[in-house]
Amino acid sequence: MINYLKLGLFALIIIALGNTINAQNKTNDTIVKKSDGIQLEEISITAIGEQKNSRKIGYSTSQINGKAVVSSGESGLIQGLSGKVSNLAITKNSGDPGAGGFIQIRGQSTITGNLQPLIVIDGVPMSNSSFGGGVDGVVQQSRLNDINPQDIANVEVLKGAAAAAVWGTRASNGVIIVTTKKGKYSDKKNNMNIELSSSFGLDFVNKEYEKQSIFGQGTGGKWKANTGGTWGDKIETRSGTDELNMNGAYFFTYNKENTLYRPILKKGDKTVYNDLNRDQVFRTGKTFNNNVSISSANEKSSVYFNLSDWNQEGILNGNSDYRRSTGRLNYTHNLNDKFKFSLNTFLSKIYSNRIQQGSNLDGLYLGYLRTSPDFNNTDYIGTYYNASGVAVFNSHRGYRNYMGSAAPTYNNPGWTLNKQTNTSDVSRIIITPEATWEWAKKSILTVRTGYDVSNDRRITYFPTLSAGSNANGAFTDEFIKQSELSFHAYNKNVIDVNNNLTINTTVGFLYTNRGIYNIGGSASQFILNNQDRFAFINSTSENKNPFNNIQNQINNRIYAITDIDYLDKIFFQLTAASEASSTFKSRFTYPSASLAYEFTKDILKGNAVLSYGKLRSSFGLVGVEPPAYLWSTNYINSSSASGWGETLDGSQFGGSIYRSSVQGNPDIKPEQKTELEFGTDLKFFKNKISLSASYYQNKTTGAIFAVDVPASSGFTSKWDNAATISNKGIEVELNLKVIDNQDNPDKLGLNIYGNISKNKNIVDDINGVNSIFLSGFTGTSSRAVAGQALGVFWGGKWETDASGNLVLDANGFKKAAATEGVLGDPNAKYRAGIGTNLSWKGFNLNVLFETSQGGQMWAGTYGVLNNFGITPETANEVTVTADEASKIKNYNGQTIDKLTTANADGSYTLRGNLEDFGGGKVLLDQSWYTGLGGGFGSVSQDYIKDASWFRLREISLNYNLPKSILNKLHIPGASIGFTGRNLLLWTKFPGVDPELNLTGTSNGRGLDYFTNPGTKSYIFSLKLNF
Amino acid sequence: MKKIIKNIIVWMFFAPLFIITSCKKDINEINKTNPNEFSDSDAKLMITGAQLANVMLNEGEAARLAGIFAGQFTGYDRQYISYGQYNVNAGDFNSAWENLYTNGVGQCKLIKTKASANGDKVLEGVAMITEANLLLTASSLWGNIPASEACNENFPTPKYDKMADVYTYCIDLLNSAITKVGSSSNYASAYSGDFTWKEVAYTLKARALLHSKDYTGAIAAANEGISLGNDFYAKHETASPGAWNLYYDFLDWNRGGYMSCEDSHIFALLDSASSINKRNIKTDESERFNHYFLVDADAPYSAVDPNMYGGIFDAVSNFEMLGYNENQLILAECYARIGNNIESLKHLNLVRAAHESNYGGYNAYVITDSQVNTTANLLKEILIEKYVSLFGQVEAFNDVRRTSNLIGVPVNNGTALPGRFLYPQSEINSNANTPVQSQSDLFVPVDLYK
Repeated sequence: MINYLKLGLFALIIIALGNTINAQNKTNDTIVKKSDGIQLEEISITAIGEQKNSRKIGYSTSQINGKAVVSSGESGLIQGLSGKVSNLAITKNSGDPGAGGFIQIRGQSTITGNLQPLIVIDGVPMSNSSFGGGVDGVVQQSRLNDINPQDIANVEVLKGAAAAAVWGTRASNGVIIVTTKKGKYSDKKNNMNIELSSSFGLDFVNKEYEKQSIFGQGTGGKWKANTGGTWGDKIETRSGTDELNMNGAYFFTYNKENTLYRPILKKGDKTVYNDLNRDQVFRTGKTFNNNVSISSANEKSSVYFNLSDWNQEGILNGNSDYRRSTGRLNYTHNLNDKFKFSLNTFLSKIYSNRIQQGSNLDGLYLGYLRTSPDFNNTDYIGTYYNASGVAVFNSHRGYRNYMGSAAPTYNNPGWTLNKQTNTSDVSRIIITPEATWEWAKKSILTVRTGYDVSNDRRITYFPTLSAGSNANGAFTDEFIKQSELSFHAYNKNVIDVNNNLTINTTVGFLYTNRGIYNIGGSASQFILNNQDRFAFINSTSENKNPFNNIQNQINNRIYAITDIDYLDKIFFQLTAASEASSTFKSRFTYPSASLAYEFTKDILKGNAVLSYGKLRSSFGLVGVEPPAYLWSTNYINSSSASGWGETLDGSQFGGSIYRSSVQGNPDIKPEQKTELEFGTDLKFFKNKISLSASYYQNKTTGAIFAVDVPASSGFTSKWDNAATISNKGIEVELNLKVIDNQDNPDKLGLNIYGNISKNKNIVDDINGVNSIFLSGFTGTSSRAVAGQALGVFWGGKWETDASGNLVLDANGFKKAAATEGVLGDPNAKYRAGIGTNLSWKGFNLNVLFETSQGGQMWAGTYGVLNNFGITPETANEVTVTADEASKIKNYNGQTIDKLTTANADGSYTLRGNLEDFGGGKVLLDQSWYTGLGGGFGSVSQDYIKDASWFRLREISLNYNLPKSILNKLHIPGASIGFTGRNLLLWTKFPGVDPELNLTGTSNGRGLDYFTNPGTKSYIFSLKLNF
Repeated sequence: MKKIIKNIIVWMFFAPLFIITSCKKDINEINKTNPNEFSDSDAKLMITGAQLANVMLNEGEAARLAGIFAGQFTGYDRQYISYGQYNVNAGDFNSAWENLYTNGVGQCKLIKTKASANGDKVLEGVAMITEANLLLTASSLWGNIPASEACNENFPTPKYDKMADVYTYCIDLLNSAITKVGSSSNYASAYSGDFTWKEVAYTLKARALLHSKDYTGAIAAANEGISLGNDFYAKHETASPGAWNLYYDFLDWNRGGYMSCEDSHIFALLDSASSINKRNIKTDESERFNHYFLVDADAPYSAVDPNMYGGIFDAVSNFEMLGYNENQLILAECYARIGNNIESLKHLNLVRAAHESNYGGYNAYVITDSQVNTTANLLKEILIEKYVSLFGQVEAFNDVRRTSNLIGVPVNNGTALPGRFLYPQSEINSNANTPVQSQSDLFVPVDLYK
């Protein structure tokens, strides 16, 4: 079969080339035919970066104007696309400045490997990786966000396989084509358009946790210092002042007052510090963004030049910032009619500092949210003097070690924000030279090369006395180089067979060479503790650990595209690509075809309602290349570890190299995704309403993953082409020109636009394995499970009997089931965006709402805060009669009358909630929440929550100053604007903004576990033209 | 003419590209071998990794859970509170199981083949002892487990051997190893102590036979077992993550406060304030108490922490994998079981003598002492001594279960102590031979201990 395809492909290439050679003999000059009827000027950009009339396209595509990306006010291109395109779901890693995002087009179609769409910028593939990222650490950037949104002229989203087939094994998740600006001719005297734009933004946290303020730190209803839980006494019943030991150890702070902290003998302080502790963590984020661009063009050349600087301070009140400075020069030169040259160059310098998050004793939210309401976090650093007067400088004080006598169990948030360093220093260059040669009439050869290289130096630094395993200091310094070299040559040729039939052929060759090089080292157990230095000399030899890693992949691809226009109403396209890659052994061929029929040319001609109608259908096959180095079973440094972190490292025992637990597979093949799509593009009432709708179904076979094999076989997993995953869905985009003011922009114009999409994903088969871990925790994870949507939640469940009723223990409480199972689905049932654009006399108001409905999320943070007695839910008090008090038990089987003393009237009041699991009322108290019922219990079923959301994604108001004012100021153009981003959010999810995901760009979804919060922004902008 | 030249130029441009693209061989070269890892290794280098897996199994997560179930530790914070209430599920056992087979048994099988091909009998024997040690501990915790078909490419989903068969398989391995290792103690980078492999193999065999209730067999094996001063330790001589004591790593370094000894049975046995403490006129446990526990102001996380600062679980404390004390207590128990109380007491007193020289405070019992004057009292005294001596070892949990909790460890939740570990979720997911289990199976003892 493959051989036939190959043969067919080569035949196609020969025909195409033959046509190319023949083309010069033809003399028919009608290149551009006037389309009768409605003049449509919409231009789409194809996968190889060529312009094409949208009318002639047989697959689904969505465009976003560069302006819309800029006006979103987001620093990154990824987030700027949110809500603007159907079936394009964007998940943010967190609200940290510069944080990456995860883009998903038409659902997830693969398990491991690259999950994101291919980004092609000016015809050259670019790296959009987020290197790193897991359940802890800091949020990494996405390299796509290195681009300055101001430089973008247009973004084209190619969703289906047919559109993308020329990109072969990299196209299975769709392709996003970014075109940057070109120089434009100006009618000004100096032929120069100079634009200055500045904006100033204010960011705020968009969703916070509510903490109870009734009970204090402690356990069993008694105050206890340094304990994790807030199960202590009722704060208001205290005396008012702490009784202190004035003779023993003390902690001397470095604040202005040099406050002293002494051991508390009896807690009496009634103050609740929730607000103060909150204000320690958050601030108003600030962003300054400045751009200057110069654009010019004449008959021969064009120039676009831009310098920009984005300088952002995050909402987290410490080492959280992001600064990106970019420069771009896009130059074109037409030597003569035949030869054209262009050179796009871009450089970007990004410096940022991030805050530790997630499942991490040194993370921000973990220490902040768990802090008891009666503890004041303000003074986090000072000198600890023990009872004999020995001083420890730079001691760390937190609610789990209030005297700062040693590293607290969790970091004080002040320490996390101010003492830890997590920098990323990126330099990136993208350079794209291109030449075109019309070597024969209507036969154009394009040769394009691209080089995209980024260097990232990252430092992770924990000073001595940070919590947990970093208590003696730890740091990592690493360098990551990512590069992609590409060479692309193609020949485009137009043959006008006769007036009714035109054939376009393109035949091309593409070579890419990608590399990742990572080198660095980590060091711990610092020798010198009083100075922060990012130097390896500060550790002894056995505590230094260098590492390096190299990856290299080469692909080459030949392809041919044939476009047939018949009678200017039937458009047929046939594509074939044949690809070889260093990561799989035999060459693969990917065909695709699309057909568009503009039926309004035949029927309903001149219809008053339907002014334009097109039916389209496409089919395509694309692939996903296997990751590098899956062929062999390798031998690695021996290491035994558990999920709790304790490790035995062979290199500490004289060195040991043994067999890896992952079995290689020499027969690994690319995954194959086939997609079938039907759609229509309609315009009504002289184009006042345009509607585009598509139905698609795709199936990925041979999806690659490390198949779980029983550990008792000697391996834990084996790489294989093992899974089958399907997606099907519909997507609709609509645009209503309610009041059209195209003729006169000063008049009132009103536009309503929207999109809605629905995707249903199912994992058809995963090779008989029960489930595959994608990301998350031992207790709760996002997994692939046969017969379920990809990414479903997996974890401990409640035990039920055959008829599905809860099995209860002797005290009437639910019990954990022995085995784990599926708990919920993070995939949304549907997503939609609806917006309106109102313009009048230079004013332009744009409002965009976006929603995601039906997905679930794991409220891991909330569950754990229940364990700690922090949520208001756990601070409830109940009153029961004496009779009930003698019967109702807590999880330990104690009745209420044994847990507390009676009130004057004989009733009993105590902390907890009454619940009936089916065996009569029980008391949910500390014993339940710190056991099975809380987030640390083995059952996570109750913490899978609805994560539907509805938000005011964007509201922006722009005002173009009128000529009358401009003339007085002697400037040709000026505008001022305001953008509000994420201002309103409606969701029932008890946690962070549900569009965030702890594990970021990994293949697992919907996890919230002490994730840094999301933001809302107010942005003010000014633009001047000269 | 010009057209032809142009044609040639264009063809010249494309033709080499087609040639390049058809050469698949060159392009594959760059990904053929992984530059970051190796393609093979030497059996001598592999054995350390397998031994570390053995240490991880006997000193890491499995040992902690066994210790909590046996009342030696208490789950004190976060997820460990649930463990203390015996609320565990299949997923909690993944990592211990995966380590045991992939890092341990699987490597041992490879090493055996490689060493045998090289004619290195000692290494082959050491791999056998390591494999037997791993599988015996695993079988004592899980009961029926894969052994005969484990880690063999011909059996992608190995069957589960009966516990008795696993024991037979391991005893065969030990018998074979004893003929190979001579008097050597080579290939022991992960271990410390003046042990010889032969003595280690015999004590392991004695342990296996004791579990199988073959008391005379166990006596015969233990008589060849570990001699005084020649204990078999996991080596933790460097104060670095990855090298140091695993209990220390968990208790202080990675998971401070999760696990405590507050309200533990072992603390009650040694604490002079406790009504059930084992001190008596001939027994002063003060020094051992200090070696085992940090209390009050010295305890950083709870009222009683396991002693991770200078004591049994210090960062650089070697961990006893198998020792003279256990060997002697096997003898003591076996003689008591076959009715020879005099001989039994002799061996118990040998252990007390060892404690006397180690801690001080122990005088020999005489057969009329109330602690040992009947077989029942003697057995209880032996098992309490073993429970205390083997602090932190899986074997303490095994003894509790195989003697139907003769020493009376209190139950934290429900009516019974856990009788076994649950089969891990990862194995259930991928091996259809895994026995079906329900949550209540946690409380059913493994076959040999019923």
